[in-house]
Amino acid sequence: MRVMAFTSRNIKELLRDPISYVFCLGLPIVMLIVMTLINDSIPVVPGTPKIFNIEKLTPAMTVFALTFIMLFACIRVSGDRSSAFLTRLYASPMKSGDYIMGYTLPFGIIALFQIIITYTSGEIIALINSKSFDIINALLSVPLLFPSMVLFIGIGIIFGTILNANAAPGVCSAVITATAILGGIWMDIDTMGGAWKTVCGCLPFYHSVKYARFALEGNFTDMLNPLLICSAFAALIFVIAVLVFSMKMKSDKR
Amino acid sequence: MKTAIKINDLTKKFGNKIAVDKINLEIYEGELFGLLGINGAGKTTTIRMLTGLSAVTDGEAEILGHSIKTDMQEIKPLINVSTQETAVAGNLTVRENLELIANIYGMNKSDIKGSIGEIVTSLELDEVISQRAKTLSGGWQRRLSIAMALITSPKIIFLDEPTLGLDVIARRELWKVLENLKGKITIILTTHYLEEAEALCDRIAVMAKGKIKALGTAKELKKSADKDSIEDAFVEIVGGGV
Ligand SMILES: Nc1ncnc2c1ncn2[C@@H]1O[C@H](COP(=O)(O)OP(=O)(O)OP(=O)(O)O)[C@@H](O)[C@H]1O
Ligand SMILES: [Mg+2]
Repeated sequence: MRVMAFTSRNIKELLRDPISYVFCLGLPIVMLIVMTLINDSIPVVPGTPKIFNIEKLTPAMTVFALTFIMLFACIRVSGDRSSAFLTRLYASPMKSGDYIMGYTLPFGIIALFQIIITYTSGEIIALINSKSFDIINALLSVPLLFPSMVLFIGIGIIFGTILNANAAPGVCSAVITATAILGGIWMDIDTMGGAWKTVCGCLPFYHSVKYARFALEGNFTDMLNPLLICSAFAALIFVIAVLVFSMKMKSDKR
Repeated sequence: MKTAIKINDLTKKFGNKIAVDKINLEIYEGELFGLLGINGAGKTTTIRMLTGLSAVTDGEAEILGHSIKTDMQEIKPLINVSTQETAVAGNLTVRENLELIANIYGMNKSDIKGSIGEIVTSLELDEVISQRAKTLSGGWQRRLSIAMALITSPKIIFLDEPTLGLDVIARRELWKVLENLKGKITIILTTHYLEEAEALCDRIAVMAKGKIKALGTAKELKKSADKDSIEDAFVEIVGGGV
């Protein structure tokens, strides 16, 4: 009941402040189109598949777009924390888990729409280029992206909890950049190898992008490993989010 | 008379600064209790401790028999608070704000409907009921913030400067609401309007520098300070002597 009430408040706050979700839903489409146009103007190197090919690009872009869900989740939480409204809720029977669920569900719903929109746009671009995704794989990709979604919303809640409203967007931008560079969205990390790959492997973003690509390919055997790694990261991040939020609730009571 | 709140040597320190200094108080069920004091006296800090918003440094308080140190989770559903700062969800309408709080406190649907009806009438919120909170004027947001504390029919309600920013009419309306609640629920109220405290409160505690300097009915306070007006008595008690 408490979770539902708080969730519905957060959904209303989101829907009535359209910048966030319009941005979250519009951005991946624009990026897909831009990247495809760039891809078309890159000369073909024999033997290496273009990294911006739509079937590689779409899953990566979906993961990248989740970083913006993270950003807006972070802004919501840090904004709420600085308001007297949250103080009032602190005096209510709400528990820390209620807050986390109430923040996660609305952004989860938007993330779901975002994933569907990105894959649909990807498919349209593919069709224009006389290709097509395997529809079953594309459909399966949607629920398979659930761990990535939880991962990024969790990161957003953590930063929203520990940072104030001024610092939050800046730190999130750093994570967005890290995801782009260390997640292998614009480059093929596997061909680079070495220390770089080791660093990327220690963070969840690379695994997240990797398994999303395998999922769309229908290569479920190779997908399993990065999927499990990403899921473990997501679970860990979520636990940290709950802990950090309840610790912050306590320390706000000084 | 049954005790609603029993405070024993309650203390709050911020670093070296003592905001609330070993206060002792007993507030009875159904009482409308006024907490007065100059800026920085420790009124808000006291309320924050009693409502679980601020950790207790030392001492203890019991609310309806539960310790605020160990049983806050049992206390929370029984109380509600209107903080010194207006606290509303900006993008929600007045009705949605009220429903939100009612739902968070676990009220059932028919109770919510009834309570909203009552509050909306008594605080005359009907003309803004469908308006988003952030588009309301400051005073109207304040009324909503108070209504959100009343909506859950708490056994004890804490009102930290509820009439701050309200116009004369709205203030009188709130007085009427509080007078109607007198005897039914316990109300702890802070205010800088002394005539308001005199008109409403059964008993008044005057705080200064974290300590309770005087306690009694308005009449008793005036008598012990040997002054005719509550304002003169107050000045005498807090030692401002102009
Ligand atoms: N979070 C805090 N950190 C440090 N000092 C604080 C904090 N909160 C309150 N204080 C100090 O505690 C003292 C009591 O403050 P409090 O807000 O309780 O006063 P008050 O009686 O409510 O005053 P006012 O009438 O201005 O609202 C003040 O000296 C204040 O500076
Ligand atoms: Mg105060």
